[in-house]
Amino acid sequence: MLQASNFSLVLLIQLTLLAYDLFVNSFSELLRGAPVIQLVLFIIQDIAILFNVIIILLMMFNTYVFQVGLVSLLLERFRALLIFSALYLTLSICFHCWLLNLRWLESNHFVWTDGLQALFVFQRTVAVLYYYLYKRTAEYMGDPRLYKDSLWLRDAFARARQ
Amino acid sequence: MPTVKSKKKKPKKEVNDGEEQGEAGQEVEMEVVANRSRSNSRDPLTPEPQEAAPQKKKKKKKTATIDQEVERADTPNGIGADSVMDGEETVTVTRKMKKKRRVKVTEHCDNDLGAEDDDIVTDAQSPIPQHSLFSAPSTHSQPVGKVFVERNRRFQVEQVEHFRHSSPMGDHIDHRQIWTTRDVALRVHSGFRVIGLFSHGFLAGYAVWNIIVVYVLAGEQMTTLPNLLQQYHLLAYPAQSLLYLLLAISTVSAFDRVNLAKASMALRGFLTLDPAVLASFLYFIALILSLSQQMTSDRINLYPTANKTLWPPGSEQQILQPWIVVNLVVALLVGLAWAIVSTQPDIDYTEEFLMTMEVEEYPRGDESLEIPA
Repeated sequence: MLQASNFSLVLLIQLTLLAYDLFVNSFSELLRGAPVIQLVLFIIQDIAILFNVIIILLMMFNTYVFQVGLVSLLLERFRALLIFSALYLTLSICFHCWLLNLRWLESNHFVWTDGLQALFVFQRTVAVLYYYLYKRTAEYMGDPRLYKDSLWLRDAFARARQ
Repeated sequence: MPTVKSKKKKPKKEVNDGEEQGEAGQEVEMEVVANRSRSNSRDPLTPEPQEAAPQKKKKKKKTATIDQEVERADTPNGIGADSVMDGEETVTVTRKMKKKRRVKVTEHCDNDLGAEDDDIVTDAQSPIPQHSLFSAPSTHSQPVGKVFVERNRRFQVEQVEHFRHSSPMGDHIDHRQIWTTRDVALRVHSGFRVIGLFSHGFLAGYAVWNIIVVYVLAGEQMTTLPNLLQQYHLLAYPAQSLLYLLLAISTVSAFDRVNLAKASMALRGFLTLDPAVLASFLYFIALILSLSQQMTSDRINLYPTANKTLWPPGSEQQILQPWIVVNLVVALLVGLAWAIVSTQPDIDYTEEFLMTMEVEEYPRGDESLEIPA
């Protein structure tokens, strides 16, 4: 059974990483005095996304539902997050590489093209969906039903068998 | 061990007193011994032996004063010897007076010690032998319904049941036990909801302020666009960044009010003009529109260092007009979304779901419900 104190700590780490991600997405364009600043910010951001995905996967592996083999139940519930996390990580890495490649020699000049603008809009929009899904999933992971045997789990198991 | 020392010393002194005082002294001695035996019997109940020692010292002092008073009583005003010489009647009168005084003195001592009726054992109790203190009790311990609680530097008797209910420590432990992961999630969610509500209002106000500033700087019929570029180029990029931050928080907060997991439910809510769904939609559109102006914002930001290719002469109107219109639309959308959210701020699907996260215990005894793996 997941302890409330442990859950609070994990939730705090997850939300801190999300807050950092949001901060970089919002203000990274203002912090482009030197290309290396953006490079460091982007590397930490991508690692934060990866960490967040690893944490949520570890939390899923820790559930009683997963341990009894009802992976489909978890996937059905959290599929959207896993898809959007993968999509967001991919888009972020692509956008960061492209932007830094254009700005590496001269950081304070106009680099925008239609393609970059489209990728930017796509990446930032997916970021918002990722925030929403991740926050919701992190809160849902506190569901006590996921960590012990209950009538709800028995019903879900019966439904999965049919 | 100061307590042992005092025990050893006391009898010697008392024996000396007894010798001096004779019969009367022996009576006082009996009472003192009885008091000591009571204090000894109470010692194991007190958790702090350091406090017991001063009490004993006090008692010791008081017994000494009693002895002195008894001595003085023997010789009141220094005429004791003469009164004995007067006759047997005077002797009996003085003895009665002594007894009365002794009774008064012992009463006074009891009041000073602050002993309560519950603390005083009325049964005759023999003093505990020294060796039995360090050996295991031969009888089984009997649970009693009383506990001794230290209050105002004194130990007072209290009923166990009452103590259990009134103890703040017990309440604290109980409170910690019922604090579950669901409560943590609910607390975090309610915290974010407060931030979200603040963000909705702030974003609406900020967007309206932004568009007013832009229109004022642009002048009537957008005749002073170079003035807008000169004045606003410092604000353009920070404003865009802040707008994204607030829009992201507001959109997530609005999404929390809708069940986005079921697309059919969301679509039905949109068609029936559900406020939460409508607000989410408006915020999302505003977010995309705002993001689409990133390129123009950067162009405005680089206006002072711009060359002919970035800002060709006469192109201000062509570049800035769509940007102003989009900003106006964004301001209207977030203003409308804020108004919709404000009408029903208590709608929250995520919180409702979190509230339903209750465990229904599986009945262990009922084997018929068991499903074979």
